[in-house]
Amino acid sequence: MSIVERHAPFLLSLAAGIALWEIAGRSVNPVFLVPFSETLVRLWELAVSGHLVAQFVSSATLFVAGFALAFAVGMPLGLLLARVRVIRVALEPYITILYATPMVALIPFILSMMGFGFAPKVLVVFLFAVFPILYNTIEGARSIKPELVEVARSYRAGEWALWREVMLPYTLPFTMTGVRQAIGRGLVGMVAAEFFLNPTGLGQLIMVAGQNFDTGGVFAGILVIGLLGVALMRLGLIVERRFARWRD
Amino acid sequence: MTVSGLDSSRAALAAEARSAAWLSTMVQRLIAGLVILLAWELVVRGFAPAYVARPTGILMAMPKALSNPALWHAAAATLAAVAQGLAIAILLGTAIGLAIGRSSIADRMLRHYVNGFYAVPMIVILPLLTLWLGYTGAARLATIVFAALFAIIVNVADGARSVPREYVEVARAFRSQRLRMLFEVVLPASTPYFLAGLRLAAGRALIGAIVAEFFTAIAGLGYFILYATRTFRHDEAFVAVILLTAFGLAFDALVGWGTRRFLPWYRRDEKAE
Repeated sequence: MSIVERHAPFLLSLAAGIALWEIAGRSVNPVFLVPFSETLVRLWELAVSGHLVAQFVSSATLFVAGFALAFAVGMPLGLLLARVRVIRVALEPYITILYATPMVALIPFILSMMGFGFAPKVLVVFLFAVFPILYNTIEGARSIKPELVEVARSYRAGEWALWREVMLPYTLPFTMTGVRQAIGRGLVGMVAAEFFLNPTGLGQLIMVAGQNFDTGGVFAGILVIGLLGVALMRLGLIVERRFARWRD
Repeated sequence: MTVSGLDSSRAALAAEARSAAWLSTMVQRLIAGLVILLAWELVVRGFAPAYVARPTGILMAMPKALSNPALWHAAAATLAAVAQGLAIAILLGTAIGLAIGRSSIADRMLRHYVNGFYAVPMIVILPLLTLWLGYTGAARLATIVFAALFAIIVNVADGARSVPREYVEVARAFRSQRLRMLFEVVLPASTPYFLAGLRLAAGRALIGAIVAEFFTAIAGLGYFILYATRTFRHDEAFVAVILLTAFGLAFDALVGWGTRRFLPWYRRDEKAE
C-alpha cells in the first residue's frame, strides 16, 4: 500500500470537514461562525503581528514550568512512598481522594490567597498534573516483584544500587503512563489558569477575542490550542511506548 | 481433636491475624490523617491570613453550610446539569462509537476528528459557547456534553472493535439483522469498555460544569465556591469542594460496584486518560 493510498481516507475526511466548516461559516452570521478561510487569515494576521507567538511562548512557559515541577515532585515522591511501606499504606487513601478531587474547584482559593502572578498559575498546572504521575509511579513500584528486590539484596546491593538498578528501571514505564495522562490534565490546567487567574497566553487571546466578538480570533486561538493538544498527546504516546517496550 | 476441629481453629487464627492487620492499617491511616490535618491547621494559623480555610474552621462551618439551602440548590443545579449532559453524551457517544467500531467507512471518516477533539482541553471552547448561547445554562450543558462525549466515543469504539469474532459469526449464522446484532451482541459485549469510558466522562463532565459556572456565573456548586471565596468565606467554600469530591468518589464507587455485580466476568483496568 502506497503512502498516498494509506493516507487518502484521512485526507479526504479532512477536506470534507474543512469544506463543511467553510460552507457553514459562509451561511450564518459571522459573529457565530467564521469560515475556515477567514480563520486562517485571522491566524496569519495574529502571527504576523507577533501577538500569537508572544502568547504561545507565555502559555508554553507556564505549561513547562508546572509540568516540570509535577514530574520533579511526583516521581521521587511516588518511589519513596512505594519503598517505605508504612508511609504508603498510611497515605494511600488520601492520595486517592486528592486524585478524585476536581482541581478546578481549588482555583478560586488559589486566586484569593496568591492573587495575580506567575506562581499561582504554575501551582494550578502542577496540581492538575502531579497526581497522575504520583499515582502511576506508586502503582508501578508496588508491582515490583519481591524476588527482584531479594536477589538484589542477596548480592549485597545497597539502598542506592537497589533504587538505580531495580526500582527506577522497573517503575519508569508506569511513570510514563502517568506522564501521558498528566500532559492532558496539565493542558486543561493551563487553560483554566489562563482563564480564571491573571489572564495571559493563548487563554487570554481567546477570551479577549470572544469579548470583542472577534469570532475569527476565537477560532484561531482554539485551532492553535487544539493542534498543541494533539501534538502533545502524540508526544506523550511516543514517550510512553518508548519506555513501555520492555515492560511486558 | 478431629481434623475438622483443627482446620477451624486454624481458620480462626488466620481470621484473627487478618483482622489485626486490618486494624493496624486503619490505625496507621488514622494517624496519617490526623498528622496531615494538624500540619494544615498549624501552617494556616502560623503563616496565612485569617480567612484561609483550615480544618477546624471547615468543621465549624460545616453545620451552617450543610443546613444552608443555597448550597443544596447549587449542588442540585450542578448535578442536574451533569446528569443531563451525561445522558446526551451517552446517547450520542454510544451511537457514534458503535458506528466507528463496526463500520470501516465511519472509522476512516471520523477517527481523526474524534481523536483530535479528545486531545483538546475542552474548556477552551467556553468563550465560543458563550458567544453562541450567551451566559446561560445552555452554555454549561454544551460544555458538559463536549467534555464527556469524546471519552465515551473513544471507549465504545474500542469496545465495539474488540468484540470476539465468534460472537459476530454466530449471530450472522443465525441470520441476525444488522441492527439487532449491534444492539444485542456488540453493545452488551462492549459494556465494560463503555463503563470505563463513563467513569472518565463523568469526571470530565463535573470539571466542565464547574468551569462553565466560573465562566458564566450561573447558579451551581462552581459559582457557590467562586462567590464564597470572593467574599472571604473560604471555610464554607471548602465544604462545597468536599461535596464535589464526595460526588466524584460516590459515582466511581457506584460504577465499580455495578461492574463487579453485573459484569463479574470482565474487569478491565481503568482506561488511561
